[in-house]
Amino acid sequence: MQVFLQTLIGGVTFGAVYALVAMGFSIVYRTMGLVNFAHGNVVMIGAYAASNLYMFAKLPFPVAVAVAIAVTALIGLVIERVLRPLENKDFDLMLIGTIGFGTVLEAGAIRVFGATGHAVPSPVATAPLDVAGIKIPTYSLLVIAVAAAATVLLGLFLQRTKRGAAMQAVAMDHEAATAVGIHVGRSNAMAFAIGAGLAALAGGLIGPMLYVNPTMGGSLGIKGFAAAIFGGFGSMRGAIAGGMAFGLLDSFAAGHFQEYSELVTFLVFAAIVMVRPTGIFGETTVNRA
Amino acid sequence: MFPARFPIAAASLIVTLTACSAPGQQSGKQAVATGPIKVANINAQSGQLSSLGKWENKGVKLAVDEANKAGGVNGRQIQLDLFDDQGDPTVGTNLARKIAGEGYVAMLGTAESAVTLAMAPILKDAGIPNITSGQSPKLAALKSPFLFLNAPTSVTYDETLAKYLVDGKGYKKIALISNNGTYGAGEHDAFLAALKSRNVTPIADEAVTPDQKDFSASLTAIRQKNPDVLFVGAEEVESGLIAKQARELGLKAVLAGGAPMGTDVYVTTAGADNAEGSVISSPYLSNDASQASKTFSASYQAAFGEAAELHGAKAYDGAKILIEALKQTKGAGGRPLADAIRAVKHDGLLGDFAYDGSGVGIHATQIGLIKAGKIVAESAG
Repeated sequence: MQVFLQTLIGGVTFGAVYALVAMGFSIVYRTMGLVNFAHGNVVMIGAYAASNLYMFAKLPFPVAVAVAIAVTALIGLVIERVLRPLENKDFDLMLIGTIGFGTVLEAGAIRVFGATGHAVPSPVATAPLDVAGIKIPTYSLLVIAVAAAATVLLGLFLQRTKRGAAMQAVAMDHEAATAVGIHVGRSNAMAFAIGAGLAALAGGLIGPMLYVNPTMGGSLGIKGFAAAIFGGFGSMRGAIAGGMAFGLLDSFAAGHFQEYSELVTFLVFAAIVMVRPTGIFGETTVNRA
Repeated sequence: MFPARFPIAAASLIVTLTACSAPGQQSGKQAVATGPIKVANINAQSGQLSSLGKWENKGVKLAVDEANKAGGVNGRQIQLDLFDDQGDPTVGTNLARKIAGEGYVAMLGTAESAVTLAMAPILKDAGIPNITSGQSPKLAALKSPFLFLNAPTSVTYDETLAKYLVDGKGYKKIALISNNGTYGAGEHDAFLAALKSRNVTPIADEAVTPDQKDFSASLTAIRQKNPDVLFVGAEEVESGLIAKQARELGLKAVLAGGAPMGTDVYVTTAGADNAEGSVISSPYLSNDASQASKTFSASYQAAFGEAAELHGAKAYDGAKILIEALKQTKGAGGRPLADAIRAVKHDGLLGDFAYDGSGVGIHATQIGLIKAGKIVAESAG
């Protein structure tokens, strides 16, 4: 029982981060029908920006993360602007373009920050809570709370604001959206900026849990992407459910299957996607590619 | 430029021609005997393991620069070329074929046992001696006459560790957590064998993947067994994450492991408080251990603006040994160079090198403890 609950806590914490990464993938996909393969690398840039500002510029952690979100949102805008001429013309080139951006970001990080990376001290330096022998790291609670708050805010933005509604409209039918006067390019830019901002939030939060280095985006990107597919690519609810499911699957597989955990995790993933190709909350709105 | 260079070029041409015409000589080797001696350094400069590759390259570069400054090998400069294997065995084998085709006499690197293992057969066929920074027992098991290690194998690390923990400290309740990569699996097998020879059976033996981030399940299972010692067989960052999460889960066991746990990366990833008291088996404990290591770390600091550590030190030792052997062969490569490396007796930073038939030159490590974020030597029990 103790092992079960402790594994659950570890799984939920990483699940929350995967959910943030998955949401970033999904918001770009639902709006443009594009998989942003640079997303994992944007997570890494966000982690670097937040940790550098926190550790070396001595900014308070929340401020450091906020600035990191702004910086990476800007990177998102740049990526979208460069790829914009290809929108609705050559989809494959756009995909390759995002891969290229990812490589550039990773190589740039090695150039600027060095290959070695750094560890980030936890911003909440208190002992883990002890609930009947189950240890809950306080930082994990913070991560879960922030991820939940970000999810709620994004939901409100998409459903309650005019710009958010416009993005939904573009996601459903970009030609009709253009016809009613919605600027598709601006909407896409916004999706990229929000996606990159979410990446920075995920990166900033995961920094103190892991080790910040130029290649950290690889596995986070793949797991976040898989989580997005798992939940139903393009669906925001799906991204959250997929992220959580993937975090838990990962943790429990590690306990039961030891060194084969990764294999089991992705086998289960493959099996579920075969049974339900649209994922848990598969939406039919996204059909741009 | 041109007028100054021309006589040298002409002279070398004449030397080359005369050398070629000399009877009973291997013309191929003599033909290049006047230019720089080409030595390849193959190490990860990108990807997950690039930090190791960068350290190794700095150690090698320092040794070569010093040798070149002191006049090179028989008046010839050593040309050190760096190749990026990305920590990937496939890239490594391609590079092995590349250097074999381009006249390199020796190869220094790589930092990854898996990459070195993949390259070994090609370098053996090409007759290119390789001094690697890998330490998997599988490297020694190859018994290739062209493969040498610049550090002890995991067997030595873990035998020293088991001796200290079990024989010295009397710990019997020992738990293992290790990854299933080449390094982690090697550590696991070596430490397990060292325990078995002492009739100690581990109370837990958990395996993880090299890429894993969350160890709650394994560590909670280990915590329930309440071990005295937790042996960690993983690279720097993963060892740090395991240490951090183990302490967060309230695991009180003494943490023990190999060289990765003696690094700054381990200590900062775990957090200094969590790393406190970790027991490390390493052939190079600190930059202040001896006069030689003090001199080395001062030159390293001056050259690269950062503190020296184990990987740079062992790569430096390996390069020194190669340079010494090149002096013996007067710059020639092939089997004579391999034999010369085997014959070198080098008083290095990691200890006294004396190579055996399996290419291992060092057979001892020391025990260190992490105290206040720094590694300090412990007189082994």
